[in-house]
Amino acid sequence: MIELASSQTVQAGGRETPSAITPAEIDLSCRAPLLVLFLSAAVWFLLAFLCQLLASIKFHSPQFLADTPWLTYGRIHLAGLDALLYGACLQAGLGVALWLLARLGRTRLAQAVPVLAGAISWNLAVTIGFVGILAGDSTGFDMLELPSYSVLPLFLGYLLIGISAVLMFHQRQEPLTFASQWFLFAAVFWFPWVFSTAELLLQAFPVRGITQAVIAWWYADNLAVVWLGLVGLAAVFYFASKLTGRELHSHYLALFAFWILILFGSWGGIPGSAPVPAWMPTISTISRVLLLVMLIAVALTFHLTLAGAWSKLKSEPSLAFVAVGTAGFLIAGLMRVSGALLDSQQLLQFTWFASARTQLQLYGFFALVMFGAIYYVVPRVTATAFPFRRLVWAHFWLAFTGIILLVVPLAIAGVLEARQLANPGIAFVQVSRATIPFLRASTVGDLLVVMGHLVLLVNLVALVTQFYRVRAAWAYAAITADLYQPAEVKP
Amino acid sequence: MNYGPLVFLAALFALASSWVGFVLAPQLQVGQLQQTNTVVATPYPIARPGLAQEGLQVYRANGCNSCHSQQVGQTGTVCDVVLTEPGTNQPALIAALQTVKPGLSETEARQFLSGLPKPLLHGLTKEAADQGAKTLETGGAKAQAWIVPTGPDIARGWGKRRSVAVDYLFDYPVMPGSHRVGPDLADVGTRQPDLNWELRHLYAPQAEVPGSLMPPYRYLFEKRRIEHGPSPEALHFPKEFAPAPGYEIVPSPAAKALAAYLVSLRTDAPLFATPFTVASAPQSTTTNAPAGGSTNAAPSASPTQ
Amino acid sequence: MNAQPNPGLIEKAEAAEPKAGRTAVPVWLLVLTLVLIYWGMVYFDHNGGWFHQQVYSPYHSLAEVQRLQLSSAGGNLERGRAVFENSCALCHNTDGMGKPAQAPPLAGSEFATGSPTRMIHIPLLGLSGSLQVKGQEWNLSMPAMGAALSDEDLAAALSYIRQSFGNKASPITPQQVKAVRAQVGSRTQPLNAAELNSMQ
Repeated sequence: MIELASSQTVQAGGRETPSAITPAEIDLSCRAPLLVLFLSAAVWFLLAFLCQLLASIKFHSPQFLADTPWLTYGRIHLAGLDALLYGACLQAGLGVALWLLARLGRTRLAQAVPVLAGAISWNLAVTIGFVGILAGDSTGFDMLELPSYSVLPLFLGYLLIGISAVLMFHQRQEPLTFASQWFLFAAVFWFPWVFSTAELLLQAFPVRGITQAVIAWWYADNLAVVWLGLVGLAAVFYFASKLTGRELHSHYLALFAFWILILFGSWGGIPGSAPVPAWMPTISTISRVLLLVMLIAVALTFHLTLAGAWSKLKSEPSLAFVAVGTAGFLIAGLMRVSGALLDSQQLLQFTWFASARTQLQLYGFFALVMFGAIYYVVPRVTATAFPFRRLVWAHFWLAFTGIILLVVPLAIAGVLEARQLANPGIAFVQVSRATIPFLRASTVGDLLVVMGHLVLLVNLVALVTQFYRVRAAWAYAAITADLYQPAEVKP
Repeated sequence: MNYGPLVFLAALFALASSWVGFVLAPQLQVGQLQQTNTVVATPYPIARPGLAQEGLQVYRANGCNSCHSQQVGQTGTVCDVVLTEPGTNQPALIAALQTVKPGLSETEARQFLSGLPKPLLHGLTKEAADQGAKTLETGGAKAQAWIVPTGPDIARGWGKRRSVAVDYLFDYPVMPGSHRVGPDLADVGTRQPDLNWELRHLYAPQAEVPGSLMPPYRYLFEKRRIEHGPSPEALHFPKEFAPAPGYEIVPSPAAKALAAYLVSLRTDAPLFATPFTVASAPQSTTTNAPAGGSTNAAPSASPTQ
Repeated sequence: MNAQPNPGLIEKAEAAEPKAGRTAVPVWLLVLTLVLIYWGMVYFDHNGGWFHQQVYSPYHSLAEVQRLQLSSAGGNLERGRAVFENSCALCHNTDGMGKPAQAPPLAGSEFATGSPTRMIHIPLLGLSGSLQVKGQEWNLSMPAMGAALSDEDLAAALSYIRQSFGNKASPITPQQVKAVRAQVGSRTQPLNAAELNSMQ
């Protein structure tokens, strides 16, 4: 095994002295679990968006692959969504969270083997769930379509990974915490609480009637807005500061965003026209509007941290990803606020506008930030650079143009749809058909995003191949060192 | 200061409060609803028949809720003044009509009196409508203030009133839907009670709704050779969608269940929380038979019709 | 030996872990938060229906929903008519003319236009045996159709009968129905003509 130059460490049962652990050692301890998590996430991103591409094509060509029950729109769309959420976003998020907690706490990854087992269990669960949805076992609840038989391995996987995160937070060396650690620590608990509540009350001991929908909406919002927001913002604040070499503009502004997000963010799930007593959609509207101050806080922090360092965006692909991701976060939040306040006819929430907003939140914000993090973290945990730097930039441009082409036409289609639906004289079929040109444009966006994911996978596989090749060369050199004169080793 | 416990407690408090607000409170408030009475004392909702419940599972398994919603919205309520019976004193009634609706000429008023019940005024407040109805009740004439929910969904014919919690009482899973790539289905059983239409639409949506973007669900049907004569269940399509000669399209049990479920989707009963006036059949004054049919069921406001 | 395989990878000294500045949250942001919270309270007051289970949008309060209910007060006979058509019209006919050998007419009937208390007893207990209505003899039996109805529904139906088909009598209130129900107690035996005619 290759040993890195490490300084003396005191390992006798107690904590290691703070100055002893180098970032390189921390990165080394994370290598295997993070590689598994990130590689799996990359595969799931590709798979999820392939499903979405298929679904997108079916809109303007309903006859496309219509005879296979496994590929019918309803199933492939939901399978793709859950693959994106659970297989891709959550896994990448957990990987980045572990690394951030390790680095910020200056402690090695706790319990690497259980984390690895957790990652495997998680992937198993998502695979089973994905296949189950395609086979017709989806649960019918929004963003929680994973069939009941895939829930336990998923939860187990999360527990194994979450315990490591909690241990690392507990073992942290720094007395003062960086804002990101607050976000991540809250996120670690958030998911199991909302997930177990939703699964218990919707699958194990189902509640009666519309309460099911209320709990499903509550869960979906907590997952997409709060959990993804917590982990995504943690990464945004860390990388904004790290990659520019500056201080994060304000610890207190970041914490302000934290408090607003957790106090008000989890109330925003109920749509405006929901068939529930009026107080529920009212409270959700108020919550969405209140999150405006969180958006302002995040925008201020990011802008002022990067003030004068905008030129770094051209040289650092990770920073470019994170910057676009933050913009996506802000725009998705503004779409939520405007959807809450400007939809008096309660039509916009059912149009492509809502779909565009979800895409922006899941992909335009969270996935892009995670890509930025992955492109920073993976070279460091493997001590290997990405072999093709141009391909990293290619991924960025594909993702950037892809998300614009994906989201903007859908948003415009949604607004037009809402305007036309308000006029009962226009037949529904006409309204539907009027959105086809926009759907075609968003299919092109989907295609670009899929290509971007292919590039990501190529990048990661190339890096891992390079890593193993170098390792093999070193191992060979180490074994044969005493047989030959020390020769120049060509990596 | 060790911020760890503070962060944990903050997350716990925030999540606990939203849990109380959106999990516990709804469970206490609408999670324990029982079958209720409509305004006219008939139980509501009626549980779906078995085939329709199977259809609900077919609906779920095929992800129909990713394109169709099942919640009708309402943005306002207005009252109409409706004249139901003309009574015996026509001149007084015409004068009253002209008082209530200024600008109505005598000929128009006379024309109005045929084909009752007819709404005279739309879009009033309840007080104004009650006032108008009272003014019209001269000489044995009968008028009512009808409550009419309004909104884009209702104007489009997707329902007569908004959907409320009790409409979903007996369903598992409840799928109110979040996208309308296709029309809302909460009340589709009222506007399309024909099982065969639903089956034909599932097999070839473009045959029933030209230009529709809905994918065909041919795998829910069986295309089989006509052996000893056409099956009574065989569906008939226009030429471009019909199968080859000698073959017929027969729905599978899943298709029949799904169609039964769709036809069972109705939300047309007036409830306390969503009042509206159901138009009852015109009263017959010439025979002794109950108006509106030969069954024992009352002609108005029955959810089973 | 055994240096890092790619010693040139992390060329610049790895920047230290990020730190954050200690600038305070701008006051205008806090003020905006408070303004939005205030707006939220006003918005909830207007639209929230104060957590009532029966208040759905677009209604703003329980009073608004109640105002739109069908009631038998103020001469609005819609509710009564609906209950009548559901429960009574099957035998007595929707025009109140009755059916020979099935039910006597209600139009112009002395029992329908007479004493309210007596009239309330009839649907609550039912009738059996021979009875004179409008000079005609009716020897049938009536089930207690009103026993399962609520006070409001029964009062509405009886008010409708008393003010339709040409009848012009006073309406009946739910309180009157309640009082008679209490009087009747647990009796299930139907009334006969003698009891009916001796009532006030």
